[in-house]
Amino acid sequence: MAEGKKYVTPKLDELEKGPWPSFVKEIKAAAQKSPMAAALLGQLEQSYDEKIGHWKHGGIVGVVGYGGGVIGRYSDLGDKYPEVAHFHTIRINQPAGWFYTTEALRGLCDIWEEHGSGLTNMHGSTGDIIFLGTTTDQLEKVFSKLTALGFDLGGSGSDVRTPSCCNGMARCEWACYDTMKVCYNLTMAFQDEIHRPAFPYKFKMKMAGCPNDCVAAIARADLSIIGTWKDEIQQDDEMIKKFADEGLDIQRQIVSRCPTRCMDWDGKKLTINNENCVKCMFCINSMPRALAPGKERGAMVLLGAKAPIVQGAQLSSVLIPFIDLEDEESWNDLKQLLENIWEVWCEEGKNRERVGEFALRVGFGNFLEAIGLEPRPEMVAYPRDNPYVFYQTAKKE
Amino acid sequence: MAEMTVEQLADAMYEMIKEAKGMKKYKATDLQKAMAERFGADKQTCKQAIRLLMDSGRCIYTYFGGSYIEIPPDQPPAP
Amino acid sequence: MERRTDIGPPHYTKFLPPVIQKNYGKWKYHEGVRPGVMVHVAESGDKLYTIRAASPRLLSVQKIRQYCDLADKYCDGYLRFTSRNNVEFLTTKEENIEPLIAELEAMGHPVGGVGRAISNIVHTQGWIHCHSAATDASGIVKSVMDDLIDYFTGKKEVPGKLRIALACCLNMCGAVHCSDIAILGIHRRPPKVMPNLAQMCEIPNVVAACPTAAIRPAKVDGKDTVEIIEEQCMYCANCFSVCPALPMADAELDGVSIWVGGKVSNARSQPMFSKLAVPYLPNNPPRWPEVGQTVRKIVEIWVEHAEPDERLGEMIQRMGWPRFFRLAGIQFSKEHIDDYRYAALSLKRTAQVHQA
Ligand code: HEM
Ligand code: HEM
Ligand code: HEM
Ligand code: HEM
Ligand code: SF4
Ligand code: SF4
Ligand code: SF4
Ligand code: SF4
Repeated sequence: MAEGKKYVTPKLDELEKGPWPSFVKEIKAAAQKSPMAAALLGQLEQSYDEKIGHWKHGGIVGVVGYGGGVIGRYSDLGDKYPEVAHFHTIRINQPAGWFYTTEALRGLCDIWEEHGSGLTNMHGSTGDIIFLGTTTDQLEKVFSKLTALGFDLGGSGSDVRTPSCCNGMARCEWACYDTMKVCYNLTMAFQDEIHRPAFPYKFKMKMAGCPNDCVAAIARADLSIIGTWKDEIQQDDEMIKKFADEGLDIQRQIVSRCPTRCMDWDGKKLTINNENCVKCMFCINSMPRALAPGKERGAMVLLGAKAPIVQGAQLSSVLIPFIDLEDEESWNDLKQLLENIWEVWCEEGKNRERVGEFALRVGFGNFLEAIGLEPRPEMVAYPRDNPYVFYQTAKKE
Repeated sequence: MAEMTVEQLADAMYEMIKEAKGMKKYKATDLQKAMAERFGADKQTCKQAIRLLMDSGRCIYTYFGGSYIEIPPDQPPAP
Repeated sequence: MERRTDIGPPHYTKFLPPVIQKNYGKWKYHEGVRPGVMVHVAESGDKLYTIRAASPRLLSVQKIRQYCDLADKYCDGYLRFTSRNNVEFLTTKEENIEPLIAELEAMGHPVGGVGRAISNIVHTQGWIHCHSAATDASGIVKSVMDDLIDYFTGKKEVPGKLRIALACCLNMCGAVHCSDIAILGIHRRPPKVMPNLAQMCEIPNVVAACPTAAIRPAKVDGKDTVEIIEEQCMYCANCFSVCPALPMADAELDGVSIWVGGKVSNARSQPMFSKLAVPYLPNNPPRWPEVGQTVRKIVEIWVEHAEPDERLGEMIQRMGWPRFFRLAGIQFSKEHIDDYRYAALSLKRTAQVHQA
C-alpha cells in the first residue's frame, strides 16, 4: 500500500515526547504503510484542536452469519478524511491467558497489515485482540484468513462476550482451579452464544484463580468465577519464623490487619482459626512460601457485575459459594446453571437490561427460584432488615 | 397444529420482520417468543431458523445499543 | 476452501513455553528479582523469569513484530500480554534478562509495574475510535504515565499497589468504577434532538432508554419526535447509545472527573467502588495538565500516608474523607453527595465522625 497523505499534527507530536511508550509513534509507524492510519492522525489532531470526537456508531457490518465480532465505525468527517470514512473494529478471541508464540502473532500482523490499518489493541478491556480500522469489503477476507490461522471472532452486541481469565496455573502458585482450562472450555461450549446475539444485552464471563482477582472479575463480569478453598490455610512454621526473624512485624502488619481477626501470634507460633477465615488472601500475599491456600480448592461463582449503564454500577454477588470445577459433574452443573439463567433472563429481561439488574428488579430470591437454586446464607452480606416481606403463603392458597 | 419445519419458521420470521420494517426492530428473543406463541415452536428450532436467515443472507444482525435482526438494506448505507 | 465458523480461539497449550507446560499448576513461589522482573520457582526447581514492559496498548503491527524479534532472540519465541495491557517476556535463562531489558529500554518500553508499583493504566478508546467519548483516552494515559514513570520503574518506592484506570464515558469499557484512581470522561450537556430523529430511531425505544425518565414523546411541526426534560438529565448518554440522533458531545462542557478508593482484590477489605473526588476538570489536550496534577497529588498523599500494602481506599477509610479532602486541597461540593438510587446508604448515619 502507498504511503498516505501526511497531516501536520503539532498537538499529537507533543505526545511523542516523554518516557512512556507513545501511541502517536505507533500510529505514525502504521501510517508508513497505511493511508488509513495516516488519515486517523489527521482526524485525531482535529479532535485535539476542537476537543470533540468525530466517530459515529451503529452497525450493520459483520461477517456472514455472525452478529458479534465486528463493530461498525464511521467518521463524521468522511469527506475530509475519506480513508477513515469507514473504520470498523474487529474483535478476535484471544488465547486463554494471553500467551502467544511469535509465529502466531506474526501471522496476525500479516493479515492486518494487508487488510486493515495495521493498528491493534493488545488487548481490549473484555480481553479480545482488537484490530482497529478496516472497510466492509475486507471483513470476509480477514475472517477467512483468521480461521485458516486457527483464530475466530469474539463477541459483541447482545451476546456472550469473549470470556477471559488470569494466567492461573500457568504461572501462579495461588491458582485454586485451572482458570485457563475453564475459560477455554466455556468459550468452546458457547460458540453459538458468542457469535449469534440472542440475549437482552451483553453477558460477560471472567475467571480469576484466587480472591486477588487479577482480572477484576467481580467488577466486570456478569458471571465471575473466583478461586477459593475450603480447608485450612497451609502453614510452614519454619518459613513464618524466617519472616519474623527478617523483621516482619507479624502482629502489627499481618495479624492485626486480618479482616476477621482470626489469627494469633505469640511471638513464636502463628495460629489461624480457619473457621473464621474468609479466604481474603491477605496473609498469604504477605508471607508467600510460609502460607498458601488450603488443599481442598475450587471456585466460587458470582453473578451480576456491570458498569453504570443503564441503572447503576454493580459488583457481582455470590451465587454458588463453592464448586470444584474439576469433575465432569460440577462442570455440567455450571453449564446447566448458565442455560437456566439465560432462559429466565431472555424470557423476562428488558432490552438492554443486564442480568444483574434483572435479578434485582424481579427480586434476588425470585430469581434464585426461577433458575433453580436454593437460597443460602452465603449469598447475602446480611439478611434483610426491611420488614416489607412478600410472604408467599397466603398468595399460594 | 403440525410441527413447523425450520424453513417454514424462517419464512414466518422473515414476514414478521418485513411487515415491521421501518416501524419496529426485533431482537432474537422477540422472534422466538412470537413463534412460540403462534406455532408453539420450541427454542431450538427457532434458533436454527434464525441461523438459516443469517447464513442465507436474507437477514443480518444490526447493532444499536443492542442487537437486532433486520433485512439488509438495498444499498450499504453511509450513515 | 470451505468457510469455517465457530472454531473458537486456538487452544492455549499451543502457546505455553515448555517450562510452563512442564510445571503447569506446580509453581511453588515467586519473588522479585529487580523492578519489573520476577522469578517463579516450580516444585521441580525449574525457574521462569518474567520481564514486564510498558505498552501503550495501541500497537502497530510493526511494534508487535519488534516484540516478536525480541521474544525469538531471548525467549524461544514465547511472550504474553497482561490484564493491564503490558507485555511480558518469559525466559528460563537468567543471563538473558539484562540484554533484553537494555533492548526494551532502547525501544522506548521501560520495564516495571511488578509488585509494589504503579502499573499501566487500563483504558478505553476515546477520540481514536469511539462515538461516545467525552474525552480522549490515550492522550491522558500517556501524559499521566509520563509523569508517574518513576513509580512504574521502581525508581520511586510505593507502599503497595495503586491501580489507575480511565474510561472516556460512563459506558466504562474499562470497569474504572473499582480502581484506586479512576479518570472518567463526562458530558455535562443534555442531548440535542436532531430533526430527523424519527427516521433513525424508534421513539418508544428512545424513551425507554433513559434511566431517569427525562425523555418523552413529543410532536414538533406535526412530526413525531422526543423532548428532553433537561432538569432530569444526568448526562449518562444512554439515549445516544440507542439513538445517534441525540448527540451529547460538547467541546467546552465535556471533561473529566476523578474518582478514588476503589479496589477489586479481596485482600483485607472487600472490593469497593471508587468514590468521587473531583467532579470536573476541563479537556485540555494534548497533555491535560490539570488531570496530571490532580492524579499526582493523590498518589503523593497515598505514598506519604499509607501503611504497607494499604490501598488508597483503605487508607481513606482509616483517615476519614474529611482529612483526605483537606490533604488533597479539594473543595467538597454538592456534586460529591449522591442523589441516585442508593443515596441514603452513602450518608453518614452515625455519630462516629473523623473531625477534620
Ligand atoms: C459502538 C461503539 C463502541 C466501541 C467502539 C466500543 C469499544 C470497546 C472496545 C474496543 C472494548 C474492549 C472490547 C474487548 O476487549 O472485547 C469495549 C469494551 C466495553 N464496552 Fe465498549 N465500545 C462501544 C460502545 C459501548 C457501549 C454503548 C457500551 C455500554 C452501553 C460499552 C460498554 C463497554 C463495556 C462495559 C466494556 C467492557 C468492560 C470490561 O470488559 O471490563 N461500549 N468497548
Ligand atoms: C503470584 C502472584 C500473582 C501473579 C502471577 C499475578 C499476575 C498478574 C498479572 C500478570 C497481572 C497483570 C498485571 C499487569 O499487567 O501489570 C495482574 C493484575 C492484577 N493483579 Fe495479580 N498476580 C499475582 C498476585 C496478585 C495479588 C497478590 C494481588 C492482590 C492482592 C493481585 C491483584 C491484581 C489486580 C487487582 C490486578 C489488576 C487487574 C486489572 O485491573 O486488570 N495479584 N496480576
Ligand atoms: C413495617 C414495619 C414496621 C412497623 C410497622 C414498625 C412500627 C413501629 C412503631 C409503631 C413504633 C413506635 C412504637 C412506640 O410507639 O413506642 C416503632 C418503634 C421502633 N421500631 Fe419499628 N416498625 C417497623 C419496622 C421496624 C424495623 C425493621 C426495625 C429495626 C430494624 C424497627 C425498629 C424500631 C425501633 C428501634 C423502635 C423504637 C424507636 C424508639 O426507640 O423510639 N422497626 N416501630
Ligand atoms: C519485589 C519483588 C516481587 C515481585 C516483583 C513480585 C511479583 C508479584 C506480582 C506479579 C504480583 C501480582 C501483582 C502485580 O501484578 O503487580 C505480586 C503480588 C504480591 N506479592 Fe509478590 N513479588 C515479589 C516479591 C514478593 C515478596 C517477597 C512478597 C512478600 C514478602 C510478595 C508479596 C506479594 C504481595 C503482598 C502481593 C500483593 C500485594 C497486594 O496487592 O496486596 N511478593 N507480586
Ligand atoms: S487471580 Fe490469583 S491465581 Fe490468578 S493470577 Fe492473580 S493471584 Fe494468581
Ligand atoms: S486469608 Fe484473610 S481472613 Fe484468612 S487468615 Fe488470612 S488474612 Fe485472615
Ligand atoms: S468508555 Fe465510552 S467513550 Fe470510551 S470507548 Fe467505551 S463506550 Fe467509547
Ligand atoms: S443522557 Fe441519560 S439522563 Fe440524559 S436524556 Fe439521555 S438517557 Fe436520559
